[in-house]
Order: sequence, then C-alpha cells, then structure tokens
Amino acid sequence: MIDLVGWLLDVYDAPGGVMAWLLTEAGERVQLFHAFPVTFYAAGPAARLRRLWRYLQTHPLQPRLERTERTDLFAGPLDVMTIEAAGPAEQRRLFRHVAARFPDLDYYDADIPLPLRYAARTGAFSLARCRASTGTTGEIAAIVDISPLDSPWDLYPVDPPLRVLAMTPDTNPAHQPPAHVIVTGRQGPIRIALEPVKLLLIQIQALLRQYDPDLLLTRWGDTWLLPHLLAAAYRDKAGFFNLNRDPARRPLRRKANSYFTYGQVVYRGQQVHLFGRWHIDQANAMMYNDYGLEGVLEQARVTSLPVQEIARKSPGAGITAMQMLTALRRGVLVPYQKQQTEQFKTSLDLIHADRGGLVYQPLIGLHHDVAEIDFTSMYPSVMARFNISPESVCVESERAAVVPELGMIIDQTSEGLVPATLKPLLAKRIALKQELVGLHPRDCRYRRLKARTTALKWLLVVCFGYLGYKNARFGRIEGHEAVTAYGREVLLWAKEAAEDLGYTVLHMYVDGLWIKHPDGTAANLEAVMTEIHARTGLPIALEGIYRWIAFLPSLLDPRVPVPNRYFGVFLDGSFKVRGIETRRHDTPPFIAQTQMRLLECLAQAGPDQPPENQLPGAVALLRQCLTDLYAGRVELNDLLVTHRVSRLPGEFRARSPAARALDQLAAAGKELRPGQYARFLYTRGDPGVYAWDLPAPPDIRLVDVARYGELLLRAAAHLLQPFIDETALRRWVLGEPFQPTLPFPMVARQPHSSPDLLSPPPGTDGRDAVRHRL
Amino acid sequence: MGRTLATTNQIIQKEETAFANFRRTLRRDDQLVFDGLFAAARKHTAAISQANHALPFEVILLAMLLEQAAEIERLRRRLDD
Repeated sequence: MIDLVGWLLDVYDAPGGVMAWLLTEAGERVQLFHAFPVTFYAAGPAARLRRLWRYLQTHPLQPRLERTERTDLFAGPLDVMTIEAAGPAEQRRLFRHVAARFPDLDYYDADIPLPLRYAARTGAFSLARCRASTGTTGEIAAIVDISPLDSPWDLYPVDPPLRVLAMTPDTNPAHQPPAHVIVTGRQGPIRIALEPVKLLLIQIQALLRQYDPDLLLTRWGDTWLLPHLLAAAYRDKAGFFNLNRDPARRPLRRKANSYFTYGQVVYRGQQVHLFGRWHIDQANAMMYNDYGLEGVLEQARVTSLPVQEIARKSPGAGITAMQMLTALRRGVLVPYQKQQTEQFKTSLDLIHADRGGLVYQPLIGLHHDVAEIDFTSMYPSVMARFNISPESVCVESERAAVVPELGMIIDQTSEGLVPATLKPLLAKRIALKQELVGLHPRDCRYRRLKARTTALKWLLVVCFGYLGYKNARFGRIEGHEAVTAYGREVLLWAKEAAEDLGYTVLHMYVDGLWIKHPDGTAANLEAVMTEIHARTGLPIALEGIYRWIAFLPSLLDPRVPVPNRYFGVFLDGSFKVRGIETRRHDTPPFIAQTQMRLLECLAQAGPDQPPENQLPGAVALLRQCLTDLYAGRVELNDLLVTHRVSRLPGEFRARSPAARALDQLAAAGKELRPGQYARFLYTRGDPGVYAWDLPAPPDIRLVDVARYGELLLRAAAHLLQPFIDETALRRWVLGEPFQPTLPFPMVARQPHSSPDLLSPPPGTDGRDAVRHRL
Repeated sequence: MGRTLATTNQIIQKEETAFANFRRTLRRDDQLVFDGLFAAARKHTAAISQANHALPFEVILLAMLLEQAAEIERLRRRLDD
C-alpha cells in the first residue's frame, strides 16, 4: 500500500470503474484505477417495475438490484428500484437499454456526469489536493481509498504546478490556410512546417514527450489544428501519434453547434477532448477571454466539473452541476432529463431590461459628486436570504414567509437546495472581492484574483435564470417571480433608507443605486450603507464615487430618460460607460476609440473644475480625427464593422449592410454560421459594403469616408450631449465661430428641474418630432 | 423570461398610439405639448409599473399631473427668488 498526495487532474470512465490522474507533490503524473460502481433509480407502477426487475435479472451486465426508499425533491419519500452497475460506462449502457424498453418509467440519477458522482462519494472534487492510498494489482495502480485535503471554498488553495504547452497555427485557418504550427513551451516558440506531414507528427510527438504538458493550450485547436493532426495521423498510418497522456485512449471529438443564449446566437465549434491531459482551445472556450485559465480552474474547483468541460461550457452547466452535487450529497434524487436542445431564455441583459427588476428613470443630465452603491450578486443573495428554492416556494408550513406584492409563501423550515448550493459560493465571492478591494491594480496578485471573482460572478449570474428555466432540473417559475419581487422590494427599502438620511436618489437599476447628498456625498456614506444593509440583510458594496456622471436621454426624444445610457468619471479618474457607441461590439474601433479619447479629454478636468472647460480640447481632438479620416491616415482595420451573424444566409428579410456582406462572403465560398462574426467596410456606390475576409484586398479609394465621418460626429455628439447640443457642436467642429451659451438644458443639478416639459425637444424642429411620434 | 404581460413602456406606447387621431387634429404647437405630456409620463415608468393598476391610463395621467405639479413648484420657487 502506497500513500500518494497530489492534485486530482482528471477522472473519466474505464471498464468497471474510473481512471484518475493525480499530479503528485513529487511532480509525478500518476494514472490510477478506482473500482467505482454506479447507481441509478427507476420509479413507477409496481407491475412495470416487476417486469423491469425480471428483464434486468437476465441482463448480461448483471446489475445489482434492490428496492429502496429515496427522497424526491418535490414529492418527498418515494419507493424506487435501485439499479447498480459495475462502473459508469456500464451504467450508461444499461440505462440506454432500460430507457428504450421501459420509456414510461421515471428515472433518477441516470445521467449525472461521472466527476460529480466521484466528488459526491469520495469528496475528491476537480483539482482537489487529495491523499490516495493505492495498491498494485495490474499494470496500473489502484486506488483503495481517496480523501480530499482541501475544500473548494478555500480562498487560497495550493495550486498544482501545471505544465503548459501552447500550440497555434500561424494564421486563423478560417480565413487563410496556415503553413506552420507555433509550439511554445518553457524554451520559447518553435515553428514547425505543416508539410511534410510525417515530420510534423514526429516533431509534435517528440515535443509532447519532452514536455509532457498537463495542458495543451491552443488557438483553433478544437476547430482546426487537432482535427487536422488527427486526420493526418490517420491518413499517414502514424500509429505512434497520440495527443493523450493515457496511451490506451483516442481523443474524444464532439460536433459543432450554434445555440441561443444570453440574447444572442453563439457558435461553438467542434471539440477535441484529451485523456490524462487537458486541451483548451482559447478560441472556442466560452468565457476564456473573460477570465482566462485562472477563472477556468476556479470554476472547475467549485463546480467539480472537469477542466476541459467547464472551459467549454456555459456557466449554466456549472451551476446545474453544483445543484446536482448538493442533491447527491443530501441523498435527493436527481430527475433524469434528456440533453436539452431547446433555448434558454434568460440573459443578464434581458434581466436588466425586463420589468422583472426595478428599473428607474434617472434624472437626465450632468450630476457632480455621486455615489453608486451596488448589491453584491443581488438575485443569488436574495435566494439565499429568503430561502427561495424550487421546493420551498408555495409550500404551506408553520414557518413561512410572505413575498411582498405577490403574496406567495415560502417555507422557511429547512434550507432549500438552491440556497444551500449558493451560500458558500456567495461567501467565497464576497471574501475574494474584499481581498481585491485591498489590492492595488498593479499588484501581481490582482489580475489572478480578479479572474477568479469574475468566474464566480458568472456562476452566480446564471443561477437566477436557471431557477425560472422550465427545462432546468431544479427550476420553478414561481421561484423566479419571488426573486424579482424581493429584488424590487429590496431596492425600494434601499431608496427609503437613503432618502431618510437626506440623500437624493438619482437612479436605480436592478441592483444598484446612484445617490448624492447636497452637503457632500461622502460624509454620510458609511451611515447610509450600514442602514441599507440593516434594512435589507443583503451584502452591498460601494462601486465608487463619481466626480461627475451624465445620464443621457433617449435617442428618439431628449426629454425621455432611459435607464442604461450614462457615463461618468470616478474620483480616481477611471470611467464607467454604458449604452453608447464605444460599448457596442459593432462599432468600428476608430469610432469607439475616438469616443473614449473624448471622454479621457473631459476627465482631464481637475476635481474642482467643470468638465465643460475641456470642450475646446475635445473639439480640437475631434477635428484632428476627422482630418486623419479624410486624409486616409486611419488603418482599414480600425474602420471595420463587426457583425455577429444571427441567421443563415437565406433567412435575412432586410438587405442590411451586414446581409450584403454575408452575400459577398457566400459568393466567395465562405458561409458563416449563426454566432460567427462577419467584418466589413462601408464603401461608396453599390453594394455599399466590402466584406473583410474576401480573397482580394479592398480598394482603399472606395472607403465611404463621409459615412464614417458622420458616424464619428454622431458618436461624439452623443458623448458631448450634456455639454453642447449637436447642432452647435457640428458648427464648431466645422469652424464656424462658436458663441458659448449656456449648455442645452441637461445640466440638471436639482431633482425636478425639467424646464423642457412643455417646450419642443431641443435640437429638433417640429417636423422631426412629429415623425418620431407617429 | 417569456413574459406574457406587456411592459410599462409598451403600455404607454399603446395609449399614446390610441390617441393618434386626437393628436393629428391638434395644431402643430399643441402636438408638441401633447408629446411633452407623454414624455413626462415616461419619467415615471418604474412607478407606473409598480402601481400595477388595472387601468394603466389613469396612472399615466397621474404621472403627467405629477410632472406638472413639480413644474409649477419649480416655477413658483423661481418667482420667489
């Protein structure tokens, strides 16, 4: 018997059990077998269960059968039949047979990912530091017992010393056939020619042997590089070639798909998973750009899903996994569900736009000395605080809480499954965030900590949607309604608390409020925050104090406020910008950058100076940018409009510029699938666009400079709106003498200063207004 | 979330559209004042939504009235100064 201490890198199924990979403290990568019988349950009419029993008694896989009582989340205790297979692979096969023959029965715990079962039974979660007692029977050592030495909730776990090998083709294969692969290990990059194939395969295999990486980090590895290598090895009969660490397995491939999520279509390319080491394709990993490897590892630890899975999956899969794990640990049955292909309907953006949250109308205009206070992970906190869980809502009990507005009741006698799952996650995120507040952004720990909190944030963001998603295993629409109702109530409590302490509430937006005090906002802030926390019982944090902030009106009518169009400068000089061009993904970089530079220009006003003092500088900058544009000094790259494809080529109804660009690409043999990106330039004449990835480079003389100039002026006007109206700005930029008059009536420092109520909207003549209204 | 209820913004829009003929008959100057009334109501979309009233137009009217009262208050303060 040998005791090993190390990190659990991977578990996957093997005949009669699981194969586990341990990275030991001594730096060895050890493959271990663990005998691991897997159980699922069937429930239904007694006669049908008897037939199932008879069928299984003669089944070649010889499952162990038993009648037991288990708990259903909603129905309570339930008589079920236990079916235990020798290992996870056997269980899956058995379940396929049984479900096909007895489709009328209810199944539980039938399709739980193996790593979750493993974590629930042994405590060894993904990336856990474990102690494994092993014995040797065959070639591969076997685990007799394994137990974790740390917890997913440790703030600073000891990280495994991972070896990473990066591998990327020299160009994006979707746009141009690559000629080389660039492999980067500790000794710097190596360029390997793709031809001749034999040499390529030998060199890569040699590098894999030399470095023995734990992580193969690629770009386009899922969609092009690995499939290319595997196909080449197959054609060339290069039997020696194997990207896996486990020599007995071939890489696992999954097909590409497009799906609808968070209000947009996402394209996920095909996937190549490895065994014994991980493969992550940065270009195909869902949130990789948001939080990188640090975030992926953090999510793997808290969800117990394998690194390769969680890197490619949405956070929704992560939160579902966590709920399943809670259920397994509590001995609650997890209902079987076929793989969902339906769309989920929620999104962070939709939540915010939805009437579900309280969305206030800000006081339009420029405001100085404003504090923004946010509820930390408001909806998950609400679920945890008020015990909102699918099995607790609408359940009569002696200890029930009544939801404001709705009158719905929520059982408080025992902690619900969802709150129990969320509480440690919330606590960890808040603790890490507090650590982050104490760090300087330049501190070497800052970036990693930030990535980890972002990864946790995403898990929390989606858990609300999954509560109301009808296909979620632990979803229930009433729970969803209760959360939004409490959310609105809580925000009103916060508003009342702030107003009681003499603050003016300028704006409220789902989970944040913007407040100011006539005698200095900062002075009583601590008292306000304490009061809000006391009244709501939810965690809050100060997002920051703005030197000034401008809430912009609707584009259609400058008298109508809109909730999510604002920008402001914090005391430390950093900005927050929402809803204007620079935040939009389709804005050409040149225009987005110029808008940001204008904002920087405004922010240069000293703390005691009004930002409008910077207007002459802003106009000079704008003129310079326009001159550059007309003189052809702007890179074509910076003029590209990026469009996310939302439909197949034949499905477009309007011939928008994007549709025309897609037509051009299709004519050149490049069909883009929904969720992929098309980039194009505006050009003069017909058809008015030029797709960027066409084989021939665009003719520089054709670029529609006037159109870009107009877009730029409009973007600038939106930003400078609080200081100068668009007509005056255009006149000034074009060189006409400017009479500095009082800026257009947006400088609103008092609530209820709306001198424009009964006058026509400024900047439009009557005819325009009529057109907008009718 | 697959909501079946109209949002407050949609309700205000619908009420405004219902008065299209009324508005059309007004003089151009009055049309702009009319638009101002609805713009005023839109400053209180959140409150209209929270009111959850069976007759939303009554709440919209109340929001317009509120803005007018605020306007009068503001003008009175200016006279006093």
